[in-house]
Amino acid sequence: MSTITLLGLILLVLMVVVGGKAGAQSFLALLLNFGLLFLTIVLVAFHFSPLIVTLVVGMMVLALTIFMSSGDDLSSTVAFIASALVLVLLILLIVPVEHWAMVQGFGPEDSEDLEGLSVLVGISFVQVTIATAILSTLGAIAEAAMAIAAGLSEILDQHPQVTLKALFGDGITVGKQIIGTTFNTLFFGFFGGFLALFIWFTGVHYSFGEILNDKIFVAEILMILFSMLSVLLTVPVTTWVMTRAVAEKRRHAAKQTSPQDQVK
Amino acid sequence: MGRAVIVQKLKLQSTVRWWAWLIALILGAVLVMGTQHDAVFYHDPILKVTAVQHQKPTKITDNFQNEDWQTRQTLTGHLLNGQYRGRSLTISNTYSASGAMDQRYRVGSQLFVVLHHHAGQLSATVKGYKRDTALVFMLWLVVGLLLLIMRFSGLMAFLSVAANGVLFLLAILLNGSTQGAQVLWIFGSLAVVFAALTLWLVLGRTRQMLITLATTLGGTLCAILVALLVFHVTHEKGMFYESMQYVTQLPRPLFLAETLLGSLGAVMDESTDIISSLYALKRERPELTSMQIFKSGRQIGSTIMGPLINVLFFIFVADTFPMALLYLKNGNSWGYTFSMNMSMGVVQSLISGIGIVLAVPLASYLASRWLPKEVRA
Repeated sequence: MSTITLLGLILLVLMVVVGGKAGAQSFLALLLNFGLLFLTIVLVAFHFSPLIVTLVVGMMVLALTIFMSSGDDLSSTVAFIASALVLVLLILLIVPVEHWAMVQGFGPEDSEDLEGLSVLVGISFVQVTIATAILSTLGAIAEAAMAIAAGLSEILDQHPQVTLKALFGDGITVGKQIIGTTFNTLFFGFFGGFLALFIWFTGVHYSFGEILNDKIFVAEILMILFSMLSVLLTVPVTTWVMTRAVAEKRRHAAKQTSPQDQVK
Repeated sequence: MGRAVIVQKLKLQSTVRWWAWLIALILGAVLVMGTQHDAVFYHDPILKVTAVQHQKPTKITDNFQNEDWQTRQTLTGHLLNGQYRGRSLTISNTYSASGAMDQRYRVGSQLFVVLHHHAGQLSATVKGYKRDTALVFMLWLVVGLLLLIMRFSGLMAFLSVAANGVLFLLAILLNGSTQGAQVLWIFGSLAVVFAALTLWLVLGRTRQMLITLATTLGGTLCAILVALLVFHVTHEKGMFYESMQYVTQLPRPLFLAETLLGSLGAVMDESTDIISSLYALKRERPELTSMQIFKSGRQIGSTIMGPLINVLFFIFVADTFPMALLYLKNGNSWGYTFSMNMSMGVVQSLISGIGIVLAVPLASYLASRWLPKEVRA
């Protein structure tokens, strides 16, 4: 049995033991997300536009992740709409910044890995790098949106009559609670991945200026910053979507009850 | 009277806020302008492009029938720093439409160049593009928004990331001075310091912090032990250490160190969430028994573990996109492309996932045993 299969089985068993049905669902979502990610690469290899493929796959990943974990209807719907909005906002920022920073493709540090490979493959690597940056933030956006929507939904359960203004403040408060730990998840997640690269920099004695302008380094740091920004944007956006949803629901409820009041 | 004071306070707050945004905006402009004119601080000569001429693109076809267009451009510009400051130079550069290894430069681009002296003539070749302005701009955007939206909590989040960054740098230098022989020990102990420092910044020196720390370290350690056991049983079948990028030292301990650090943050995130929720629960309903607390912990944990594993999965695997694409376009099969690019990322995600799931019962158990009988608000 291969290492991946055994580790996967252990994870599945643990998730089912700890989380029951919800655990099994989360594992399935993880598998499907991997399938979607691989599909993205294959579609781009077949010359579909990387940006459009990523946008569509991104929406699907967000929907899968959010609707397949346990959560009430209101918070899942709000989390999905908010995360989709954040995704669009983020793309609007990532596209110009990646063009500006020119960090597409590979750097001189990759030359050994590229030996024997043709790099002139006729696919825009600026777009591929943009797609990579977007994909790497998807998990963080979904997680943050769900956490905030769930927190707000709990507040609504306990205080159904809370004013919209107070609810907005509550959203920011919930955001404050998660921001520190979420940033650390991102920091460690990314830095764990770049450990080898940073060891390379010190081993080959890059100067500070060289590191600061290095293609690969800047590309990786930009990816961390995009993820952090996406989490940051998720806080007010999710809160805003929740207040809209609640306002809509209350207006609806008011419409339904008022004719009855008149009959009485 | 009370109301008037509140209104005044609100007004004060909104004006403070207005000023804060203005200051942040000015600071951002200063930083961006500053890095555009910081060439004098660089040792390497920098050339600013003032004119570009293009030749006709030529079509290139490789062995795998991939078609691309290559264009030669002639860049004219002047040096911004060094002893030849102000000198005009002409450089030729070739770029492709795909641009994986090359760049198309434009008027206004600032480039690092290498100068050559040949028979009294000064010439130059491009070494790299100057990217510090874009980097500083994004850094400013994130830190600025963090402080403006999150205020004090944002400051603490920023401080903890900055402190961890400094520690990380020190550990890498230490690793370099030992030629990488102790990589697992260095980053293993670093993980303990990271976790302790971060939780101390978030929670202070409290019992809650100790329970969270114990869960974080326990969960991560268990995951690594499970991984080692699995490696032993499967003889690391299907793991390709040679596919790891930028490796300059023994890959296996380096891989374990990467996985350890990668999962640490997520396990810490989850433990903090579960244990602080349990504290809040106990505060509201002090009559809860340990068994009930354990069950609630499991309940909370099982809803957040899936999305958290997802976060790490996308971080670990999305990064391999460009290289995997290149493999596919070079006539490799899907299976080989997966093995050589994504297998290590998937193994990392799975090990982290195991840590994240194990932390749920661990956090619930420790909280059910160690939670004080009376939780003060």
